Amino acid sequence: MAASANVLGVFAHVDTTVQAIRDLRAQGFSDLTVYTPVPVEEIEHEIEKVRPLSAVRLFTLVGALTGTATGFFLTIWSSLKWELVTGGKAPVSIPPFVIIAFELTILLGGLASALAALILGRLPKLTPSPTYDPRFTLDRFGVAVACAPDKVDSVQSVLSAAGAEEVRR
Amino acid sequence: MSTLPAPLSTTSQATWADVNRDVIRTVSMPGDRYFAWMCLVALTLACGVAAWAWQIWVGIGAAGKRTPQMWAMYITTFVFWIGIGHAGTLISAVLYLFRARWRTAIYRGAEAMTVFAVITAGLFPLIHAGRMWFAYWLMPYPNQRYLWPNFKSPLVWDVFAISTYLTISVVFFIVGLVPDVAALRDSSTGIKRKIYAVIALGWEGSDQQWRHYRRAYGLLAALATPLVLSVHSVVSFDFAMALVPGWHSTLFAPFFVDGAIFSGFAMVLVLMLPMRYLFDWYAYITDRHLDAMAKLTLVTSLVLSYFYICEVFTAWYSGEHFERASVFAKATKEYAWAYWGMYFCNCLVPLVLLSRKARVNTVILYVVSILVLIGMWLERFNIIVPGLGHDFYPYTWGTYYPTVTDSTIIVGSFAWFFILFLGFIRVMPSLSIVEVKEVLPHPLKHAASHGGHH
Amino acid sequence: MSVMDRRSFFKIVATTGAAAAAGGCGPSAEQFIPYVIPPDNIVPGIPAYFSTVCRECPSGCGLIAKNRDGRVIKLEGNPDHPTNTGGLCIRAHAALQGLYHPDRFRGPLAGGKPVTWDEAEKQLTDKLGALAKARQGARIAVVSGLETGSLGRLMDEWTRLLGARPRIAYEPLGYEAIRAANRVSFGRDAIPDYAIGDATYLVSFGADFLETWLNCEGYTADFARMHAFYQGKQGTFVHVEPRLSLTAANADQWLRNAPGTEGLLALAMLRVIVDEGLQVGGAADLNTLRAAARAGDVEGAASASGVPAETIKKVARDLAKSRGGLVIGGGMASTGSTVTDTLVAVNLLNAAIGAVGTRVRFGSALPLGKASPYSDVAALTQAMAGGQIDVLVLVDVNPVYALPPKAGFVDALAKVPLVVALAGRPSETTARAHVVLPLLHSLESWGDYVSEEGVLGLMQPTMGPVQVEGKAVVALSTGDVFLRSGRKALGLEEGKGPLKWPTFADYLKDEWQRVARDYGSSAPFGEFWEGALRRGGVWRQPASPAVVLRPEAGRVQAGAAKLQGDGTHALLVYPSSRFYDGRGADRPWLQEVPDSVTQVAWDSWAEIPTETATKMGLKRGDLVKLTSPHGSIELPAYPTDLVHPGVVAVAMGQGHKFPGVFANEGNAATGTSSQAGYLNVGANPMELLPGAVDPASGGLPHLAVKVTIAATGGRRPLAVPQAQFNQDEREIAQWVELGSARETELRGRPPEHANRPSMYPPVKYPEYRWGMSVDVDRCTGCQACVLACQSENNVPTVGKAQVAYGRIQHWLRVERWQEGAATQPVNMFLPMFCQHCEVAPCEPVCPVYAAYHTKEGLNGQVYNRCVGTRYCGNNCPYHVRKFNWFNYTWTAPLDLQLNPDVTVRQLGVMEKCTMCVQRTVAAKDMAREAGRTVKDGDMQTACQQTCPTQAITFGNLKDGGALVSKLSLSSRGYHVLEDLGTTPGVTYLKKVVRSEPAGGHDKPAEGHKA
Repeated sequence: MAASANVLGVFAHVDTTVQAIRDLRAQGFSDLTVYTPVPVEEIEHEIEKVRPLSAVRLFTLVGALTGTATGFFLTIWSSLKWELVTGGKAPVSIPPFVIIAFELTILLGGLASALAALILGRLPKLTPSPTYDPRFTLDRFGVAVACAPDKVDSVQSVLSAAGAEEVRR
Repeated sequence: MSTLPAPLSTTSQATWADVNRDVIRTVSMPGDRYFAWMCLVALTLACGVAAWAWQIWVGIGAAGKRTPQMWAMYITTFVFWIGIGHAGTLISAVLYLFRARWRTAIYRGAEAMTVFAVITAGLFPLIHAGRMWFAYWLMPYPNQRYLWPNFKSPLVWDVFAISTYLTISVVFFIVGLVPDVAALRDSSTGIKRKIYAVIALGWEGSDQQWRHYRRAYGLLAALATPLVLSVHSVVSFDFAMALVPGWHSTLFAPFFVDGAIFSGFAMVLVLMLPMRYLFDWYAYITDRHLDAMAKLTLVTSLVLSYFYICEVFTAWYSGEHFERASVFAKATKEYAWAYWGMYFCNCLVPLVLLSRKARVNTVILYVVSILVLIGMWLERFNIIVPGLGHDFYPYTWGTYYPTVTDSTIIVGSFAWFFILFLGFIRVMPSLSIVEVKEVLPHPLKHAASHGGHH
Repeated sequence: MSVMDRRSFFKIVATTGAAAAAGGCGPSAEQFIPYVIPPDNIVPGIPAYFSTVCRECPSGCGLIAKNRDGRVIKLEGNPDHPTNTGGLCIRAHAALQGLYHPDRFRGPLAGGKPVTWDEAEKQLTDKLGALAKARQGARIAVVSGLETGSLGRLMDEWTRLLGARPRIAYEPLGYEAIRAANRVSFGRDAIPDYAIGDATYLVSFGADFLETWLNCEGYTADFARMHAFYQGKQGTFVHVEPRLSLTAANADQWLRNAPGTEGLLALAMLRVIVDEGLQVGGAADLNTLRAAARAGDVEGAASASGVPAETIKKVARDLAKSRGGLVIGGGMASTGSTVTDTLVAVNLLNAAIGAVGTRVRFGSALPLGKASPYSDVAALTQAMAGGQIDVLVLVDVNPVYALPPKAGFVDALAKVPLVVALAGRPSETTARAHVVLPLLHSLESWGDYVSEEGVLGLMQPTMGPVQVEGKAVVALSTGDVFLRSGRKALGLEEGKGPLKWPTFADYLKDEWQRVARDYGSSAPFGEFWEGALRRGGVWRQPASPAVVLRPEAGRVQAGAAKLQGDGTHALLVYPSSRFYDGRGADRPWLQEVPDSVTQVAWDSWAEIPTETATKMGLKRGDLVKLTSPHGSIELPAYPTDLVHPGVVAVAMGQGHKFPGVFANEGNAATGTSSQAGYLNVGANPMELLPGAVDPASGGLPHLAVKVTIAATGGRRPLAVPQAQFNQDEREIAQWVELGSARETELRGRPPEHANRPSMYPPVKYPEYRWGMSVDVDRCTGCQACVLACQSENNVPTVGKAQVAYGRIQHWLRVERWQEGAATQPVNMFLPMFCQHCEVAPCEPVCPVYAAYHTKEGLNGQVYNRCVGTRYCGNNCPYHVRKFNWFNYTWTAPLDLQLNPDVTVRQLGVMEKCTMCVQRTVAAKDMAREAGRTVKDGDMQTACQQTCPTQAITFGNLKDGGALVSKLSLSSRGYHVLEDLGTTPGVTYLKKVVRSEPAGGHDKPAEGHKA
């Protein structure tokens, strides 16, 4: 069902925030957005319970493997282009190429991870979400609930009950 | 005892709001003293640039290089700067994985130092090259004639190692900055706000953003960790892979890595102590932090001393005439001052940190750090210049004399580093808002319910 | 609209093209070859070779000049010419820089101002004519160099017709004493040919025959023939000299005698031989020998000279017993008051050991025997001073510099109303001349030269007159100047009369008609002439007349040379192997090539005994003032153990005083001008000598004064590329004792890499594997290879400052290593250049493949690809890679000498020896055309070609039959720094020595091999 209304509860404390999330879930409100100034393990723990693990690591793995492959391909293929002998070494000598492969593994792996954070985290975010409040980068927690208009009151009650110092829609 | 004025708030029980305030304070309009410093640094940099221009014009001969010292102060300083970077990565990546909570107060500055140090180091291969306008030939770029770099050359390994290191450090650095910049955005107004808004990428700290962010950050840290060991190992290969007596040694990789971290920590202290004083961050960079860093410096120093002994021992024990002659020449010939200066700065001086008093005494710490930096520069100088000056072939043995040109360029490189750093601390949070908050006690209503959590 | 016709179109194209060329790429339009009528022998891109004669010194070696696109770019020895048989010395190579010297006169000068040729010539001819008419010919004097061919005869004819004074053939190194001694001993006023090559035991009393003495280049080759280790044998060479000259450095035994005691030693040896009845020869001689021997006194000689009596006896006995002995003497450095007696003693020794007539050949006498003695020059000086000379014609000589000021020539010159100098380049003498008539360089003119009796070299123009700033110099050959001026002065006409020949070339051809008859050529003259031009001349072995010892020789007096002044040290003035008497000093190449023994490049120096130096606290480069009764000079000190404690030695040839392109200081940062400021550097030791004639010989004594040494407190550091002469047990230059050399030659040496396993598959060479071998036993350290390489490969000169700072650019250097006692070392000369290692340390470190291994085993260096990281330079254990620290340039027209087949390297790239790859390529092309592969001997590298002793051999190591392959497997073979496992493509052959040098074998540090 399409949510048509947003309710935001602003909290000052971690435990109250966690409480709110629990209660809302209990009430069957699942479409929550939790704002925190810093990552808080309790809150994360609460949210992650119902979510699959982040897919970032997949990006990293693919990036890293691509790097390794590129490293070896580039070195070997380019050495075979001219087959120049230096210092009596065979044109294709793997040990030195391992270094290149290693560096590219790290490089592409790292870039992929960063990319993942952007893509999965929907960044950059061009328009601020309606429920966002600048205090969330300072010292306040926010729990935004998307729900059907007729459920707004019950949500508000849950939030205030949990200890929200401010509730607005 | 510290000559610094008694800190305003020595309590580490600052609230989250304090953190925002204390950090955001630092990016306010700077004062005249700051501008004075900036001018001085900029002027020095200008001299350096002029010297480089002159060198490009008349040729690398303008620098004091010669046969046999075809490498000299440029490579010395290159290795020096690369080394500086390492502490930053160590603090931000390795200590992150080890959950060493004290790192949070210093890691932002350390990371900035890393990025700028690597950028500075990156200049030197260019400055050093006889035809710098063709330096891009070291890059593997597709071209019609299939002319590719020689992947067996340690210099090409350098290209990859350093560009990777730089990229990863920069990414890691920026990723870490995003939430803090968001905080800056929310607390600033006008054009500043707009600019920060762009850099913050619309960060809101929603759970959606945090979960991927945290995961990515962790993985980046995991990837950056091997770099701490690999980058300087590769740099050390420039020497270890060569034939030159005193260079051709399996000792070099760990030897260089340790030295790098050693010098890096010294540089961190050199940068952090003044910031702590000027920004009044005693609440965040406490004696505990100084103590920890001093300990790390001490440990790396002791390890380094061990390597020094190994170096001399292997030279003697190998019975290799060239190796022995080389060490003997370093210790007794025209560069002896640098050799013994190195031992003094890197092995003896840090021993004062055995005393806890010294470890938390900012003045002593500062002096030690400066000496360590000098010592580590001398170490690289000793490897390169006297090493080459007394190698296999007696016919060409000779003494290298610095010229005005190369000396000016070296000094200029320091100016270049500091202009970047000074610039940074005035526009960006040089203390991590988010991570400092993280380690502060989280605001709880019912403290009991979560008492004794981690 | 105007219609442009074809002709004017070409005009425009031509001019614009020329302008573009002139503005754009160095050599101006005149260098381009007109295709309409191509000049003879010049095919663009294909070199033409002309044979001629080298005129840098009186030896007269045969030359082959390589002419490429109308300009001579390289000189090589003429293998057919008996005098030098293919070898060439550094001075000969540098003739090119004389040819292309920026200072060359563009045209005639009168009173220092440029004038037309006719104006200048008129001043001369009017005066000559007037004097001739007035029967005042005796007031005309001509001083020329030694001209033994047609030119000499023409000049003499000229003087005869004008009734002028007999021409003076002036050679600063005249060797009058040798002639005087021969007059006394054999009644012959000549200098015989000494067949050093045929000797088995050679004793030299101060004759520096490997540097400047007589026919030095030929003697160097002969020396190798006599002394180089071959089939287990080696001749013995004992050298007597107070200083370790290059010659002494090559001796098996160097007897360091007190200056001027050579005569005593020679007579002492004679005494030993006669007393012990070791002499050979007829009874008539015997009495003379006995008479002379009485003057000999072994003990006396020993105490006077400092040479132990045992040594004297041993040398005398071995010399006599060898039955192949030869004794020589009379180097300029040893010409003291008793030099004539010394040389008579030498003759007596030769007579006693039966060398006269066999190894001392008066038949093939040397041209120097015809030079005017110094006494003639002194007489002329008197006449000039006395105002008896109205016209003085100086033909390509520089007495103002070469004569001691005390000779009074300069003052006398001022008294001559008209001084006419014929010269190619400015000198102290031309600066004082009223009229200067520019001469063509010997490489630009016709001529011939007798380099020894029966050997007549023919000179032909090897190129047109050099263009300076795009204009050909206005100059004539000496012969033409004399023909024209003679005719004008005497009012004769071309075509008839005594001076009928329109040009000197015609005169020469006429002369050669006679030569053809002399040499009994049956072929028509045309063929004979062509053949001579091709061959470079005609030669035959003249019969050696029997000479008898005259009784007068028996009255020889023993005595040490008397030295003027109350100084502390005897002054040893020796001719420079680089500048001869000083005529080479204006050439960057000669200035930059290091002196072999001291390894000093540029500048001049005073060799001071270590004892004295330590006593006075002198370090190398401290300025000292040498003062003799006749003058004083200031020089940087060079303390050394290699001179007699009572001696200070200074080389001739530096300290010029004339302006020139290089005379003024420039900015060291930019190539050429870094050579600036050397021309007048140093000091001229002649300023310390008396000008008095030695009555006995009629020569100028060079060993005549004692000097006092005083430190001035100033410093002028010397440029010495070699950091030290002690190899620090690194076995770079190796030696083997004669006995074991003989032994191991039978056994051979263990196979390569036996103990050196490799991780890599062996490198494959499809067709060729170029390699070299260098015989350290043959190398005399003459440095010729260095200049041959420099001229072949466009190696720049970088100037004193850069050389001093380890930035000398030579691809090939000759190192001197010494072992054993500091005062009696074993000297080894080691030519060091890129070793073209199979496992080259320089290659894998290059990030851009600029350094790589070619399929032919060469260590390739791609200049265009080089980025200048200089990693290869660090990693090369031999440090033979040279970096272009600055943009080195060549002052026009020196750039015309550049070899078009070799890239001129630019700023910031690494360069090094290529084993003359351009020659390899040419050889392969030739072979391909002949439908075969390159055979051994198809090509030589520049260094190999010029080496008078054939110390260097190049070839294909895959060809088992090639000489280089055989030599590489020699039992004396070794690789420099072999233990590094670089497996070089260059194999060195150990020097063979007579006895272990004191201090024992060159042992590695204990455990070195462990």
